[in-house]
Amino acid sequence: MTGTAAASAMGPASAPPNPALVKIRDVIYQVAGIFHPDNKHRLLEERCSKRMQVLGVASLRDYYDCLTFKATRQAELTALLNEITIGETCFFRNLPQLDAIRNVVLPKITAARAKSSPRHLRIWSAGCSTGEEPYTLSMALLEEQKKHLKDWTFEILATDLNERSLAHAQLGHYGTYSTRNVPEPFKQKYFLARDRELHVTAEVKANVNFQQVNLSDSTRMAFMKNVDITLCCNVLIYFDSVSKRRVIGHFYSNLLPHGYFFLGHAESLYGVSEDFRLVHLPGCTAYLKSAEKTVAPEKARPQ
Amino acid sequence: MNVRESLLKELEALDRMPTLPASLIPLLRYMEQPDETLDLQQVIELISQDKSLAVQCLHMANSPLFGRSQTVESIRDAVVTLGLQRMRDIAASCSMLAILPSENAGMDPAILWEHSLGCALVCRQFARAIGFPDPAKAYLAGLLHDVGVVALLWILPTEFSEALELARSEHIPLHEAELRVPEITHAETGKLVAERWRLPAEMVSVVACHHDPRGATAYRDLVALTSLSDILCRMNGLGHGSVEDREVDFEEEPGFGILLQEHPQLRSFDWARFTFEMEDFMEEVHRLVSLMYHPS
Repeated sequence: MTGTAAASAMGPASAPPNPALVKIRDVIYQVAGIFHPDNKHRLLEERCSKRMQVLGVASLRDYYDCLTFKATRQAELTALLNEITIGETCFFRNLPQLDAIRNVVLPKITAARAKSSPRHLRIWSAGCSTGEEPYTLSMALLEEQKKHLKDWTFEILATDLNERSLAHAQLGHYGTYSTRNVPEPFKQKYFLARDRELHVTAEVKANVNFQQVNLSDSTRMAFMKNVDITLCCNVLIYFDSVSKRRVIGHFYSNLLPHGYFFLGHAESLYGVSEDFRLVHLPGCTAYLKSAEKTVAPEKARPQ
Repeated sequence: MNVRESLLKELEALDRMPTLPASLIPLLRYMEQPDETLDLQQVIELISQDKSLAVQCLHMANSPLFGRSQTVESIRDAVVTLGLQRMRDIAASCSMLAILPSENAGMDPAILWEHSLGCALVCRQFARAIGFPDPAKAYLAGLLHDVGVVALLWILPTEFSEALELARSEHIPLHEAELRVPEITHAETGKLVAERWRLPAEMVSVVACHHDPRGATAYRDLVALTSLSDILCRMNGLGHGSVEDREVDFEEEPGFGILLQEHPQLRSFDWARFTFEMEDFMEEVHRLVSLMYHPS
């Protein structure tokens, strides 16, 4: 490894990032709500360079202009976001998030709903793409049913706009790449190996309900009710701020009072929703639907 | 005399535990100035005063990760190779290393050290983000806030490792586990050590009250800032090697209410972004600590 490469990998202490890249990072966060920490700058730079090659743009400074001033900025931003989120979907993609759901969120929800009936959990994977996320959730919940959720039933609503993705999801056949993070016991239990592929078992599929839903369709959104947990990863980044606010408003009202809303890694709702409460869970963040927000003003004490 | 009183008495008489290297605080304070006003010669002299620090700097500068083609033999070259920012973290880490017992009951000291260094970086960054007037002081507060853990490692290693195990297996905060065994928290032991070392009063307050900032009677801003940074670290993989299975709303933490009085901009603070930015600290901290602790 060369000294320069090592220094940039070591983060902000030694190598100040390119100012144009920092500006691009800030535009992406402002517009799409997805944040690239300094240690991901090289990755961001690679993705920008791919687009710069396509456009024939020589410098990051000029590319920043393409994203902000030029008439085609909206299309270019979408193209860059496509580069950023490409190939991201796989089983057990966001383990801290999954662990937080298993170890903190589900116990809280079941405690809050202990007296309610039916004892049925509804989890919504909004923008489920080819099905890796809803099936991961289904497997995790099947495991929990043997431990803490013995007398609970559950369903995973899995929606996407793209019909081809949904068809792939419903078939439930996956290659080695998207199943690379699946723990071995889960592979044995919840997949059947067929012709170099892994097929999701009927047991896992039984709890997943696929539907085609356009998140911008307000009428359709109004029918999604009584949700305990919504996951919407790397989808809202494509919405402009007005539609994003509207969609978030729907997500908020679709949730039950104790419900949780999850975004993708390093995605944030800052400046988009004042209704949700940001909470920190071990290794990830989530948004909580809760009316009883109280910030007690601190009384001054004599020093 | 109950268990706690006898423990505290024993701790007061504790003289096995080494003190912080005398050069640490002046060096850290000096290095907090903007880089362009720093006198390199002054930095080199301060580092050279502490032999173990000087040796560690040379070792780090010669690590393949910082890859110089020629061997680094002088402190000046080491400082140039590593950069001033990283020098400060190495100095802080050496000081932590100097006070940790070499024999330990099952605890990897690197874990404590990672938490302290991580908290120091988060404290300083947080201080800058909210306009806290003295980020250097915040850095030092983060570095020293858990000095009581070091005291427990010296005085009650077996009981402390039980507390650590309890925190890990039940996914609860360390100070809650300590209340069950050894029935004394690192905030209490830390207060005694900090007073014994004659640390500045604000540091004593941080060490004693970082788990109960409302209990602080002085320097409440610094205590609150450290308290919030400590929780951020613990919730984001820089705890004491354990995961706390709980949910934290920072705006409901006692430290938030206290800080808000003097720093109204905290009301609209972007906690999500700050948390994402922490990824950088974590990477840096893991690398520094593993380089220094497990030299290859």
